[in-house]
Amino acid sequence: MKKRAELIWIVLVVFTIFAYFLGQFDFVNTLMVGILLMTTFIKGELITDYFMSLKNVKLKYRMIPTIWLAAVMSSIAVAYYLPIQ
Amino acid sequence: MSKIVHLKESYPPGDFAIWIVIYIELLTFGLMFLGYAFSRRADIELFNASQSVLNQASGFVDTLILITSSYFVVKAVNTVKNARIENIQASNESASRWLLAAILFGIMFLINKLLEFSDIFSQGINLSTNTFFMFYLLLTMFHFMHVVLGVVILFNIRKRTKTLCYSEQNCRGIESGALYWHLVDLLWIILFPLVYILR
Repeated sequence: MKKRAELIWIVLVVFTIFAYFLGQFDFVNTLMVGILLMTTFIKGELITDYFMSLKNVKLKYRMIPTIWLAAVMSSIAVAYYLPIQ
Repeated sequence: MSKIVHLKESYPPGDFAIWIVIYIELLTFGLMFLGYAFSRRADIELFNASQSVLNQASGFVDTLILITSSYFVVKAVNTVKNARIENIQASNESASRWLLAAILFGIMFLINKLLEFSDIFSQGINLSTNTFFMFYLLLTMFHFMHVVLGVVILFNIRKRTKTLCYSEQNCRGIESGALYWHLVDLLWIILFPLVYILR
């Protein structure tokens, strides 16, 4: 796909605008935090797959940043959602 | 009907050494992100009140700058990777222009960040103010140093495009530098919602 880099850039910008509006208009609630973390994960995946060109390398190399991203984002979600004693 | 088969590359782009650096950085920043997220649980009100002092618009602009700069670096790498013997000069010149744009955006990020730090320090805030600002300053300043190094790396890569050294067969150097820059972008993409938005 010829304009793939441009498309990825647009998606990254759209997700960033979404995150900014959530913060700016104080829409940050439990549901929105989940969506925010999910879009951040997708942004990270787009950067590693397409900007870092890991999309077409062997799965074991591609999985290292994916596992890192999933571990970090899910741990942040646990820290956010886990009830405080 | 013919079917296009995409073969997987055996190894990731760039040098082996840059991937070691990337994995170490991911681990280090990952632990710092978790440190922030779990420390927040100890005093959510303090973190939310302190976070409101931050300039979200500045963090937003920083994110856009880094994403765009990363895009410019992708264009530079793609340009040299598609270079043929007959157009090596034109490809290196084009890559040089993309890299210059990426460097300028990197410098814009640094200037914006310095303005933000100056605003924070002028309010008498420092590492000892509270746990939130300890994490905020630690994370953003550590990331700031990575951006400085990234700009230096991009500057050196650009210098090498002047000697027309990059081509489809010889692009490991530019790929490695680009990977470091994308890492800096990737880390900021998590840092921005975590520190500036999530409350």
